[in-house]
Amino acid sequence: MDLHQLWTIVSTPDNVPIVLLLFVVPFYAWYGLRQAFANDRLIAQLEADPAMAKTHHRKIQPFKAGWAREVHVWPYLLRIEFLAAIIVTVILMVWSITLNAPLEEPSNPTLTMNPSKAPWYFLGLQEMLVYFDPWMAGVVMPSLIIVGLMVIPYIDANPLGNGYYTYKQRKFSILTFIFGFIVLWVSMIVIGTLIRGPGWMWFWPGTTWDHNRLIFEVNQDLPDIFGITGRVGKIVFGAAVVGGYFAAAAVLIHKLITKTPFNRKIYARMSVLQYVTMQVFLIIMLALPVKILARQLFRIKYVWVTPWFNI
Amino acid sequence: MSDQDQDKDPVVHSSLSKPLYFWSALLVLSMVWGLYDEMYGIRPWKSYEARFQKLYARYLANAKVDEVTFEKQIRSAPEYRRLDGATQAAEKAAMPAASAIDKQVNQDLVPKILALNDPFQEVRSHIGSLTYEIEVSKSESRKDSLRKQIVELKNEVHKVRLPDGERPMKFAEMDQQLKDWKNEKATLLQKRVEVMKQADDLRKQRDKYLSDRIPNASADTITAVENSLANFDIRIRQIHIKDVDLVDRCESCHLGTREPVVLTPAAMGGEGVFASHPNKEMLKIHDPEKFGCTPCHGGNGVALSSVEKAHGYNKYWLWPLHHKENIDAGCQQCHAREIVTEMAGGLNDGREIFRLRGCMACHRYEGFDRDADESTSVNQQIRQLDQQKAEWLRDAGFKEQKANNPRTSDADAKKLFSEVNDLKVRSSGIDAKIEQLDMRSASLVREMKKVGPSLKEVRMKLRKEWLPVWLKDPHAWREGTKMPTFRLDDDEIKAIAAFIWQSGVQGAPLPQQKPGDPEKGKEAFETRGCMACHSMGEGAQKQGGTFAANLSREGEKANYDYLVRWVHNPRQRTLPYCAFEKKDLTAEDYQKHGQPFVFDLEHTKCPNDGHELQVQQMTPMPSLRLTEDEARDVASYLMTRKRGNATYQNADYLDDPALKNKGLDKVRFYGCAGCHEIAGLEEEQRIGTELTKEGSKPIERLDFALLGHKAEEEGWETHKGFFEHKLANPAVYDQGKEKAKQDRLKMPNFNLSKPEIDAVTTFLEGSVDASVPARYFYAPPDQRQDIIDGWWVVRKYNCMGCHRVHVAQTTIFDTLPRYQDPDWKDQKPPTLIGEGARVNPEWLMRFLNNPALSETDTNRDGVRQYLRVRMPTFSFSDGEIRKLVRFFEALSSQAQPFIAEKLEPLTDQERTMARQLFTSEGAPCLKCHMTGDPKHDVRATAPNFTVAKERLKPGWTKRWMLDPALMSPGTAMPSGLFRREADRWVFAGPTPASFNGYPKDHAELLVRYMFQFTPDELNRLRAGAGK
Repeated sequence: MDLHQLWTIVSTPDNVPIVLLLFVVPFYAWYGLRQAFANDRLIAQLEADPAMAKTHHRKIQPFKAGWAREVHVWPYLLRIEFLAAIIVTVILMVWSITLNAPLEEPSNPTLTMNPSKAPWYFLGLQEMLVYFDPWMAGVVMPSLIIVGLMVIPYIDANPLGNGYYTYKQRKFSILTFIFGFIVLWVSMIVIGTLIRGPGWMWFWPGTTWDHNRLIFEVNQDLPDIFGITGRVGKIVFGAAVVGGYFAAAAVLIHKLITKTPFNRKIYARMSVLQYVTMQVFLIIMLALPVKILARQLFRIKYVWVTPWFNI
Repeated sequence: MSDQDQDKDPVVHSSLSKPLYFWSALLVLSMVWGLYDEMYGIRPWKSYEARFQKLYARYLANAKVDEVTFEKQIRSAPEYRRLDGATQAAEKAAMPAASAIDKQVNQDLVPKILALNDPFQEVRSHIGSLTYEIEVSKSESRKDSLRKQIVELKNEVHKVRLPDGERPMKFAEMDQQLKDWKNEKATLLQKRVEVMKQADDLRKQRDKYLSDRIPNASADTITAVENSLANFDIRIRQIHIKDVDLVDRCESCHLGTREPVVLTPAAMGGEGVFASHPNKEMLKIHDPEKFGCTPCHGGNGVALSSVEKAHGYNKYWLWPLHHKENIDAGCQQCHAREIVTEMAGGLNDGREIFRLRGCMACHRYEGFDRDADESTSVNQQIRQLDQQKAEWLRDAGFKEQKANNPRTSDADAKKLFSEVNDLKVRSSGIDAKIEQLDMRSASLVREMKKVGPSLKEVRMKLRKEWLPVWLKDPHAWREGTKMPTFRLDDDEIKAIAAFIWQSGVQGAPLPQQKPGDPEKGKEAFETRGCMACHSMGEGAQKQGGTFAANLSREGEKANYDYLVRWVHNPRQRTLPYCAFEKKDLTAEDYQKHGQPFVFDLEHTKCPNDGHELQVQQMTPMPSLRLTEDEARDVASYLMTRKRGNATYQNADYLDDPALKNKGLDKVRFYGCAGCHEIAGLEEEQRIGTELTKEGSKPIERLDFALLGHKAEEEGWETHKGFFEHKLANPAVYDQGKEKAKQDRLKMPNFNLSKPEIDAVTTFLEGSVDASVPARYFYAPPDQRQDIIDGWWVVRKYNCMGCHRVHVAQTTIFDTLPRYQDPDWKDQKPPTLIGEGARVNPEWLMRFLNNPALSETDTNRDGVRQYLRVRMPTFSFSDGEIRKLVRFFEALSSQAQPFIAEKLEPLTDQERTMARQLFTSEGAPCLKCHMTGDPKHDVRATAPNFTVAKERLKPGWTKRWMLDPALMSPGTAMPSGLFRREADRWVFAGPTPASFNGYPKDHAELLVRYMFQFTPDELNRLRAGAGK
C-alpha cells in the first residue's frame, strides 16, 4: 500500500472536488431517496384516507394533521435558502483560502505530461475514449448525450411527481437517472481521476503510479476473434452483431418498462415516436457499460469495423 | 420536547436563528481569515521587512557607538587635529569675505531677480504667442497687424515692483537688467568659491584622512542609513529589467543584500536572510540592476508567497535556486566558453574534472575538445575556399572568352577584362587564407591530445600479466587514477586485454638500455619537476600533483627499456599515424618511396599521400630535456617503485587470436577509444549522450528508472539529485532492473569524492539553455577573449602545477615537503603573475618554443640556470604559443602588438656610474644574479643580466627594482633599495662619489644600464666586483 502515492493523488487541488464528489453524491442520492420514500408513505396514507386527502393536499413529510396546507415563500423558504447561501459561501471562502489554483510548469510542446488528463468534468469523455473509436467517443456520444438530455421533457409522459420528492410515482425516471448519471458518468470521472495513472493504465488506489510499468494486453476486434478476414465480411458481421444487440436491448428495455402496471399506464400514454426515441437513447446508453464489460472481460477492441467508423 | 411542540409544523415554527447565528459568525470569521491571508498569509515578506527594520536599526545603533569611538580615536590623532585646526582656521579667515558675498547675493540680488523675473516672463510669453500667430497665419494683413501688436507690446512701459520701489520699464530694459543681475550673481558666487578654496581643500584633505582609515561604513554613512531606515516602508522591492522581461523580488526578503553597511548573519540576530551579499566584487561586475538575481542564482524571482516557492523548490518550477555547494552553477550559462572563470572555483573544478578525467571523451560538450572540433572546421573551410577559388577562376575564364569574342563591344570587353583581373586578384587572397588554414591544420594535429596513454605501444611498454589486473579494478591498483572502473566480468576482461595486447603495434625492437642509478633518479624525479604532475607514494604518503598518474607501482607494470625512451622523450612514437589512410605507417611505407624512415616535428608529411602525420604521442607530457643517462636514472628509480608482495597470474591467453574479435566488440562497446589511442579505432565516435544542455533537459527525460519514486519521496527528483547519484554510482539507475549485460548502463565508476561530485554537479547543473538573451553571454570583443583562450592551453599542459598564474593559487611545489625548507624556497619555479608586463612577447614566444634558449646546449633552463627544476619543452604548436603569449599580455593589459619602448642612450659617464653602483657594497646585485661564471653561478638565485635586454620590458624592470615584494611576496630580491626624493627615486644606500650632483632618477639609470648591457660590460662588471 503506497500511502504517499494515495495522498499525492487525493490531495492534488484538482482532485479535491472529485474526492468530495465521492461522498457527497451518494449522500445526496440517499438523502433525496429517503425523502421520496417518506413522501410515498404519506401519499399512500392520503390515498387510503379520502377524508384526509380532502383537507390536506400537502404531500410532503413530515406531516401532521392541523398543519397549514401551504406556507409562504417569505420567510419560510427564503430563510432556509439564505442559510444555505451563507453555508456555501463559508465553504467556498475556506476552500479558496486553503487550496490554490493548481498551476504547473510552463507548457512545453515537445513534452506531454503523463498522464495527461482533461479537466475533471471531461474525464468521463476521456475515459470513453478507451473503449470507443475517437470519432464515437469524442463526437457522436457527447452529441447524443446533449440531445438526449434535451429530449427528456418531450418523451416524459408521466404527469406525476412535480414539486415533491417521490420514488413510487417516477420509479423508471429515477432509476434511469441513477444508472446514467451516477453509475456511468460519475464513476467514469472517478476512474479517470483516481485510477488512471501513467500511460492511462489502470492503477488501483494505493498502488504506486510507476512510469516504468509495462502490462501485456492485446485487444482484438470481434470479427478477428471469429476469424473473419475480408473487409465486407467484417462489415456484415459487425452490422449483424450490433443489430442483434439493438434488438436484444430493445426487448430487454421493453420488458423492464412494461413490468409494473403503473408503467404500463405511462407506456399507454406515449406516442410511437416518443417511445422509439426513448428506446434509441436508452439502447445507446446501455451500449456504454456493455462495451466496457466487453473490453475489460473479453479484451474486445471493436465490434463493428468499417473503413469509415468503428464501434 | 413536549407533545405540543411536536405537533407544530417545523417549517413554520422552528427557529433558524441559532444556525443562522452560527453560520453568520463563521462567515465573518472566514472573511477575517480571508483578509488576514490576503494581507499577511500569502505575503510573508511583510513580516521579513518588519523584522529587518527592527534588527537593522538595533544593529546600526550598536555599530554606531563602536564606530564613533573608533573614529574619535582617529580624530584625536595629531595629524587629524592639525588638519582639522587648519581647516577651521582657514574657514574662519575666509568667513567675513564669504558672508559679505552671501549677504549681497541673498539679500540684494536674489529678491531683485525674483521680482523682475515674473513681469519679464509675462511679456516674453505674450510676444512668443504673437510670434507663433504670425508664423501660422495666412493673410499678410493679419501678419502686419500682429507685428504691430508686438512692437506696441515692446514699447509699453510696465510698472515693475522691485524691492527698492516701483520702476517703470520697457521690455528691452527688463531683459537687460535681468541679465546684468544674473551675471553679477554668478560673478559673486565664483568669487565666493575662490575665497573658500583654501578651506575647502583642507576639509577635503581632512575627510580623506578620515575615510582612508575607516574600513567599515563610517559613522556618517550609518547616520544616513539610519535616517533612511526611519522612512522605511513595507513594500515589494523588485528589480525589473524591461528588455529581458525579468522581475526579481528577492530583495523583498533579502533586504540586506546591497546595504552599504556590511551585514553578517550574526549581526542580524542570526538571520542569514538579511545578510549582505558575500561577494561585493561580484555585484560590481554583475550589477543587479542589469542582471537581476535569478539569472545567476536560479529560483522564482516573482514568487513571494512562500520561501519554498520563491526559491523555486516546488515541483513545477524548472529553475530552482542553486544550492550552496553548487552556487557557481549560474555562471556557466553565460561563461560557457571558458575553462577558467574567475571567482567561480567550484565550477572551474567541475570543468577541469570533466576535461581531465575524460568525461568529454564519451560525452560531447560544446566547447570542450576544441582541438578536434577546430580541426574539423578548419578542414571544412579549406575545402570551401578551394571550391570558391575554382569557381572564381572558371568565372574569370568565361569572362575572358566573352571579352575576346569579336562581337563584344570594346567598352564591354574592357569592363570584362577588368573584372577578370579583379577575380584573379581576389583569388590570390584566398591562397593567403588557405595557407594560413593549412598551417593551422598542421598545428592542430599537434594540439590534439588523448586523456589516456596510447594503447598502440602496450607490447613494448607493459608487462602482459598486468593488463587483466588493471582492467579488473584500476582504482584498487592505483588509487585516484583517471582510469575509471568498468563493471566487467572475467570473460570481458580477458577479451579486452587480449584485443588490446594484440592490437599493439610492432616497431623496431627497443634498444637494450643499461641500468641507471636509482638514487640519482630519485633525486632527479623529485627536483626536476616531475612531481608537478605526477605523485609518488600511496595513501597518506602520497606527494605531488594529481594531473598525471601516481607512479608508486610503476615498476610492477612497465618495461624498463621503454620507460627510458619515454622519460627521455615522451612524445616519441613507435610508428607515425596517417589520419588520411587511417593506418600506422611502417618503415616499408617510407622505403617504397625511397625515403628514410624518419618522422618528427620536422618530418610530418606522409610519404604515401603527403598528408599531415601524427608524429608524436598524443600526450601533454613534455620533454624535460634530460640526458640519456639521466633518463636511465629516472627510469631505474621508477622500476624500483613496486609493492614487494604483488603477484601476477600468467596471462598467456592474451595471445589467443580467438579472443581478439570478441575484445574488439567490447572495446567498441565501452568506448575505450575515447580516451586511448587504439590501432584501428582512431575514428571512433563518442558513445555517451551530449551534455551541453543537460541541466535544462526536462526532468521527465532523466531516467531515474525504478528509483523515481524513492527520489520523489526523498526529495532528490531534481537535476542535482540525478547527477549526484549518477556520479556517486554510475550504475545506480540499473538497481532492480532486469537487463541483459549489453543493455546495462555503461558509464564506469570514477570514484569521485564528495567535493568532486559537487564540482561536476555544479558544472552540469549550470549547463542550461540560457534564460537570458545571448547578448548577456560573456564574449568580450577585446583582450579578455585572449584570456579565455589562453586558459584552455594553461589547463591543458598544467602550467599551474609549477607556476602561479593567478593570485590566490598555490602550486604543487608549495605543498612538497622539500620545498618548505628555506634553502629550497628560491628553487621554486617563478610566479607568472604579471608575466605579460614583465617580458617582451617576442622573447616569450622564443622561450616557449625552446625553453633552453639554445639549439646546442639543451640540458639547461634558458633563464634560470640555477634552478634544479626545469621548464620543459612542450613542443607547443604555433597556435598554442600564440595563445599563451596573448594570454599573458592580456592578463597584464599590455597593448598588442608589442612595440618596444625607446630608452635614452647612456653617456659614458652614466655607464661608469651605473657600473660603480652595481658593484658597490650597498647594491650587491651580482651576489645573487648569475654572471656566467660557473663558480659563481652555483650559488646564484637570480637570472643573468645579459638576457634582461631581450627578455624584459623597461617599465616593469623599474617597478620591480622599486618594490619587488609588492609583485612577488617572499622574493629574495630586497625591497627598499630606492627612496623617493622630490620627483625622482634615489638609491637608498651609500652611493659612489660619482653620483654627487647627478640630477636624474637613479632607478631609471640602472634600467637604462641593464637594457644597454653587453657581454663585454658583464666582464668589466665582473672584474669590478672581483676587486
